[in-house]
Amino acid sequence: MPNPTDEALIARWKDEPAPLLPLLHAFHARDGYLSEPALRSVSKGLRIPLADLFGTVTFYHHFSREEGGAERPRVCNGPVCSMRGSDVLIASLRAAGHDPHAMPCPGRCDQPVPVIHGRTVLTGKTAGSLVTGPSPLPAPAPAGVEECVFAGIRDPGRAALAGYRAQGGYEALTGAVTGRTPDGVIGIVDRSGLAGRGGACFPTGRKWRAVAEADGTPRTIVCNADEGEPGCFKDRLLMDHDPHALIEGMAIAAYATGAERGFIYLRYEYPETLDILEGAIAEAAAAGLVGDGILGSGFSFDLMVRRGAGAYICGEETSLLNSLEGKHPFPRNRPPFPVTHGYENLPTVVNNVETLVSVPPILVHGAEWYRDLGLGDHAGTKVISLSGDVAQPGNYEVPIGLPLMELLNGWAGGAPPGRSFQAVTMAGLSGGFLAGTDLDVTLDEPSIRSKGSFLGAGGIMVFDDSRDMIRVTRESMEFFAEESCGKCFPCRIGCQRLVERLEGSGPRTVEAWVDEVSDLNDVMKKTSACGLGQAAPLLTESLIRYFPDRIRAHVGAPPGPAVSARPRKG
Amino acid sequence: MRHNGAALTLTLDGEKVAFTRGETLYEVAERHGRDIPTLCYDPRLEPFGGCRLCVVELEGARNPVASCTMQADPGMVVRTRTASIEVQRRILMEMVASENRDADVDPMHGYASQEMAELLDRYDARTGRFAGATSGTSRPDDDNPFIKRDYENCISCYRCVRVCAEQEGDYAISVMNRGFHTQITTEFGGHLKDSACTFCGQCIQTCPTGALGDLKALANRDVPGETETTRTVCPYCGVGCSVDVMTRGEKIVGVLPAMDGPANEGALCVKGQFAFDFVHHPDRLATPFVRDDETGELRPASWDEALDFAADKLRKVVRDHGRRAVYGIASGRAPHEAAYMMQRFIRAGLGTNHIDNCSRA
Repeated sequence: MPNPTDEALIARWKDEPAPLLPLLHAFHARDGYLSEPALRSVSKGLRIPLADLFGTVTFYHHFSREEGGAERPRVCNGPVCSMRGSDVLIASLRAAGHDPHAMPCPGRCDQPVPVIHGRTVLTGKTAGSLVTGPSPLPAPAPAGVEECVFAGIRDPGRAALAGYRAQGGYEALTGAVTGRTPDGVIGIVDRSGLAGRGGACFPTGRKWRAVAEADGTPRTIVCNADEGEPGCFKDRLLMDHDPHALIEGMAIAAYATGAERGFIYLRYEYPETLDILEGAIAEAAAAGLVGDGILGSGFSFDLMVRRGAGAYICGEETSLLNSLEGKHPFPRNRPPFPVTHGYENLPTVVNNVETLVSVPPILVHGAEWYRDLGLGDHAGTKVISLSGDVAQPGNYEVPIGLPLMELLNGWAGGAPPGRSFQAVTMAGLSGGFLAGTDLDVTLDEPSIRSKGSFLGAGGIMVFDDSRDMIRVTRESMEFFAEESCGKCFPCRIGCQRLVERLEGSGPRTVEAWVDEVSDLNDVMKKTSACGLGQAAPLLTESLIRYFPDRIRAHVGAPPGPAVSARPRKG
Repeated sequence: MRHNGAALTLTLDGEKVAFTRGETLYEVAERHGRDIPTLCYDPRLEPFGGCRLCVVELEGARNPVASCTMQADPGMVVRTRTASIEVQRRILMEMVASENRDADVDPMHGYASQEMAELLDRYDARTGRFAGATSGTSRPDDDNPFIKRDYENCISCYRCVRVCAEQEGDYAISVMNRGFHTQITTEFGGHLKDSACTFCGQCIQTCPTGALGDLKALANRDVPGETETTRTVCPYCGVGCSVDVMTRGEKIVGVLPAMDGPANEGALCVKGQFAFDFVHHPDRLATPFVRDDETGELRPASWDEALDFAADKLRKVVRDHGRRAVYGIASGRAPHEAAYMMQRFIRAGLGTNHIDNCSRA
């Protein structure tokens, strides 16, 4: 079949919702890169100013503007993979005649080291040993622990519609559409205590109610599947093995809020997941579970997948919305919030994958059931992506409130032989480190926030006592510097300056070093426009808190008085 | 404005003040003389929230909020200048200073070019702290005669990109890359003359650091004397844009747009902004010329002689060829009143309706 013409590609997409990303992907796939003529065609076809379009394309990691660029292997050099030999793999690929380049964490920390090659993700340690394979399933839950989103996921047929239905799938949607009012559905979700599992912990029922009551139609459900946080790979698992649970959760959200359309904004780095989701949506549509007149009712909901192009900030919900709309993906100023001014400035629910997947079981088993899955006063469960120096890395669905050490030692087999835990990250990288006696936290926001960190999306990377924490911090800060969008000053300049100070440049006395770094931490936390710039300094803040001796050695000064963060004078 | 019968009020630094729905905290505070520092703000543009210098404390908010983007709400309690806020602003200014090659530039760069330097002084932020890599790649290769693109002095406030899109509607420039590597660019990183740029110069005049500079004015930076500015109206077309003409001695050294000009609110076009050097050009005509009937050469003449000469010739054309042989074209540079006089002259004076205006072409 001859390659489609520019005109054919534009005609295919220009009248679709959110057309820019799929149209750029179509050109990228056809030509192997985004050429100048291709961008001129897109600019004309979608009526986007050419300079704007050019700037936006350069924002994303994975749109190549050099011939053959789309096929260059990309190798993870995130914090876990860098400890597991990304450099060796890159050298090995180069020796084998490839032209690899490094990329930020693509969400495979449970299988280091991943390589994206075209539309395939491979994992391994050398060019000759790379293999493909499905996302690893979670280990069975310890006896007596009840799960929510993982309860059916280990069933081999679960990803197909028949298998999902055999386990009671779509009963929640059917029950809602035929037997509950939208307000009744929101009431159950509200009472369950379900809160945003992407890390912001905003109560889901309240968000849905705000959208249901907001003026303006059509309303939209957006699933944030841009799982870009290093050390997080739970949403990939959920989508790969339980795609219908996500579709059902989104359809229920649409029914509850009166939304007519939905998008799954999927990160570029999950190409296999894209195929799985599109297949599952087609199956669901054929069975009348999405589309017009769902289950014979008057309720209609169109569901589409949009593939990102590599940009951590697009996991920030307002950047994500700008990206969907084909705009430069800077975060928006808030207020107003997406519940009233979301996709195309209309009321929009933006929910994480795990949040939406939690909804069908909550409707089936009830609000009380979900609430009681948590320990003590905490409601529900949280999937933790555990990686790094731990015997059994992987995804674990824990009752909220579980002690961290019980997860590390009891569930995941403890530290590697002969090693002990030195530090863990929280919220992927965004929560900085916990170490020492602070490892004694329980996995819930109040406990972790009391240590100056947060649970967030639930990525935990483990570093044993052999790891150089300055290097770990530097590589982590390089990620934030690389991903800072460039909109606000404290983040754009601050991340860069922190990297430089972790590299060994900057002040040569410990006091001046800590003074500068503490000032950067403080101004970034307090004045950055979005979560990226507010969270990045938690790395350096916790480094100063837990590892003052390492800082003394790093700055090269003789041992002196205790290092502590202190407020700036006057 | 009244809302439900009562004035909308909030508490600004302990004082109860009224506001209008839709006003931002920054606008309310400025109305009350607060002088909140900004670098990414231009009152003509949509608030952007990039520089974060305008942060204020808002009771109930976890972090300080950007006053430029936060709309005022009844009952808000706002503090614009606490010790803590001033410390944040100073650190931010030290950070900004650290990324640029130069903190000080010649004011001839443009209207707003001293904003950053003035804030560095106000916050005593020339400390040299946070030294490190500088950002931005200058484009000396862009050999256009109007706009200096010296991005090593750029602080990524994007006022140039936003004024180009929001005010001028040209969308000639945009932001490429992310984070510390952001760079102002045209499509494909080329030169301005190959882009959608119309060289209106608005980007120059909103730039707060002199990263963009007015090359026409900078060519006169060594002209001796103090710079004086004179408010006048651009002579080029009938729109009537207000300009502040800069002079040193008897020489025009540059043109600044008048931000309070009622017709243009700071906007100019390439001619009004840059095309002033004809004034002092040696080839410029200083008297009328008439063509000598005998020699066929042009020779200087008085205004009376030249006007009589033109009138005689016009009458001769009408006499020899009829009134429809005359066609008048009014200049687009003339105001309404002059255009009206011109059509009266052609219609009533010469008796033909062959009258047009060059702006129509």
